[in-house]
Amino acid sequence: MEVEVRVFSGLEKFVPGAGPGKALLVQVPEGATGRELIAQLQIPSDQIFTMFVNGRHALPEQVLQPGDRVALFPPIGGG
Amino acid sequence: MARLLRVDMTRREVKFTDVPEKYALLGGRALTSRIVADEVPPTCDPLGRFNKLVFAPGLLSGTNAPSSGRLSVGGKSPLTGGIKEANAGGITSQKLANLGIKAIVIEGKPAGEGWFLLKITPAGAELLDAGDLAGKGTYEVTAICRERYGSKVGVITIGPAGEMLLAAAGVTNNDPDGNSSRYAGRGGLGAVMGARRLKAIVVDSPKTFDAPVKDPEKFKAAAKKFTAILRKHPVTGEGLPNFGTSVLINVINEAGALPTRNFSAGRFARAQAVSGEKLAETAVARGGKATHACHPGCVMRCSNVYPLPDGKVCAPIEYESDWALGPNLEIGDLDVVGRLNYICNDVGLDTIETGVTLGVLMEAGVIPFGDGEAAIKALEEVGRGTYLGRIIGSGAAVAGKVFGVTRVPAVKGQGLPAYDPRACKGIGVTYATSPMGADHTSGYAVATNILKVGGYVDPLKPDGQVDLSRNLQIATAALDSTGLCLFVAFAVLDDPEGLPAIVEMINAQYGTQLTLDDVTELGKQILRTEREFNRQAGFTKEHDRLPEFFALEELPPHNTVFDIKGEELDQVYNF
Repeated sequence: MEVEVRVFSGLEKFVPGAGPGKALLVQVPEGATGRELIAQLQIPSDQIFTMFVNGRHALPEQVLQPGDRVALFPPIGGG
Repeated sequence: MARLLRVDMTRREVKFTDVPEKYALLGGRALTSRIVADEVPPTCDPLGRFNKLVFAPGLLSGTNAPSSGRLSVGGKSPLTGGIKEANAGGITSQKLANLGIKAIVIEGKPAGEGWFLLKITPAGAELLDAGDLAGKGTYEVTAICRERYGSKVGVITIGPAGEMLLAAAGVTNNDPDGNSSRYAGRGGLGAVMGARRLKAIVVDSPKTFDAPVKDPEKFKAAAKKFTAILRKHPVTGEGLPNFGTSVLINVINEAGALPTRNFSAGRFARAQAVSGEKLAETAVARGGKATHACHPGCVMRCSNVYPLPDGKVCAPIEYESDWALGPNLEIGDLDVVGRLNYICNDVGLDTIETGVTLGVLMEAGVIPFGDGEAAIKALEEVGRGTYLGRIIGSGAAVAGKVFGVTRVPAVKGQGLPAYDPRACKGIGVTYATSPMGADHTSGYAVATNILKVGGYVDPLKPDGQVDLSRNLQIATAALDSTGLCLFVAFAVLDDPEGLPAIVEMINAQYGTQLTLDDVTELGKQILRTEREFNRQAGFTKEHDRLPEFFALEELPPHNTVFDIKGEELDQVYNF
């Protein structure tokens, strides 16, 4: 199945073809979790501070659905 | 011995007075709000002779405590009609503390049309004629003062918006490079300064880090510990130094909480074009800086230097300004955002209020959404004092009334910052209930709702938001009294050693035995003081509400409304 992935704030350096915020269509096995997606993208897991799936916070064990919009962030803050 | 500097604009007299015992352990917001509550009649006209403008460095400002150079500015707000503390970075807070000045209290107003400059040096203070500075933008005023009084001076000033007494006018001061861009922006305190005919305050201090400390060894150890805590936390140690505040554009956008097109959607299709990543890339490519400290001794260095195509430099473009003048207006061009930001800085306007006001004008059809050139042209009218310019400088609530707009995102007359309360409900509670009007900094629930700092409370649900906002508002009021940058809270919320290290620094500096409970009590006391001032000014709990459209109009993509009831909001103050 296919999910739409965006990586931000420096994480793009781990993912060939990624630009910050650029939507990447990624093929993952049915039932793949967020953690498995991150491993497949070869992003070191300690670099990920926040994962959103469809705009909601998700835990690494969340099972992804076809067409999910996944966003990955390192630690950031501001305001 | 620290002193108060009292400036009587009516008699044109300055005098130093002893600090009353009851103010000895107050600083920053605790002190400005206490003095305003003690000395300003709550029902007075904010622009009249009875209002006062108070400047106070924080308790730790002017020492080696990391990131402790924040300046509090207080008074009765012409924008909200309530008490106001606006808080700025820049270099003057540390200088004031090193001159032994605990607060400057500007009172009265002179007869006549003259303008004045307050000059403060180690030798004393004097009021000088500033007729030649009147009408000038803040960048030029700052450059002239640095030329005249030395390149190391701190310059607090207002722009033409403050001189025109516009309710969205801010008070600025400069960073170490002389950029007059560090604003105590919110609530119209620039107009309060303008009403006193005070154009600028020049602060000349040869020292930055030498404010007196009772127990230097203990202080040094505590400051070192606190620095390590900031460096260790992923947000204060990596996120902020690497990307600055505008990095939030993408994460708030992904969370569906980035107010777009005057708070009608939670995602902006061109967010990436105004993101912190894009900002850093463009700034560096043009010879600017992706990371920069707004005052000496900051370890987070979250500011930036963004060169504009016309040769001017906007330093910095911060997240709130970026959002207000970008996505909120459907403008996806950082050069336009930077230009609008620069004009705000120069003419002397709060960027958040100005962006929200331009959004309301776009809603009204006065300017088309997304039309950057039209927005720039309209904003340039403020400095010329045209009718449209004066409406823009008067804030979102006034603009909404003038043009009959009902989607006006404001609480107590103050425009909402960069997080939609329907998709980040904790911050909605803060917007509704803060004595300051809609203010994200007074209880930054975004940290816990979206950034997952200090735990996690689901941003889309009403549960837990009132408790979250209450606790943050109490802690923030105390923190705003220390002179520490609010961003230290990212580390303090997660690291149990953080708050004790702050208390250790204060105890070492003042020879006190304060406990963590004392700090919480200080925060509560500040909020009670501010709320009581507002009550006497005519505010009721019914003013602690969001505009009704937030409960009626669903916000895409989550299609949620703000569904925290009035009686629940009232529970914020049950302490």
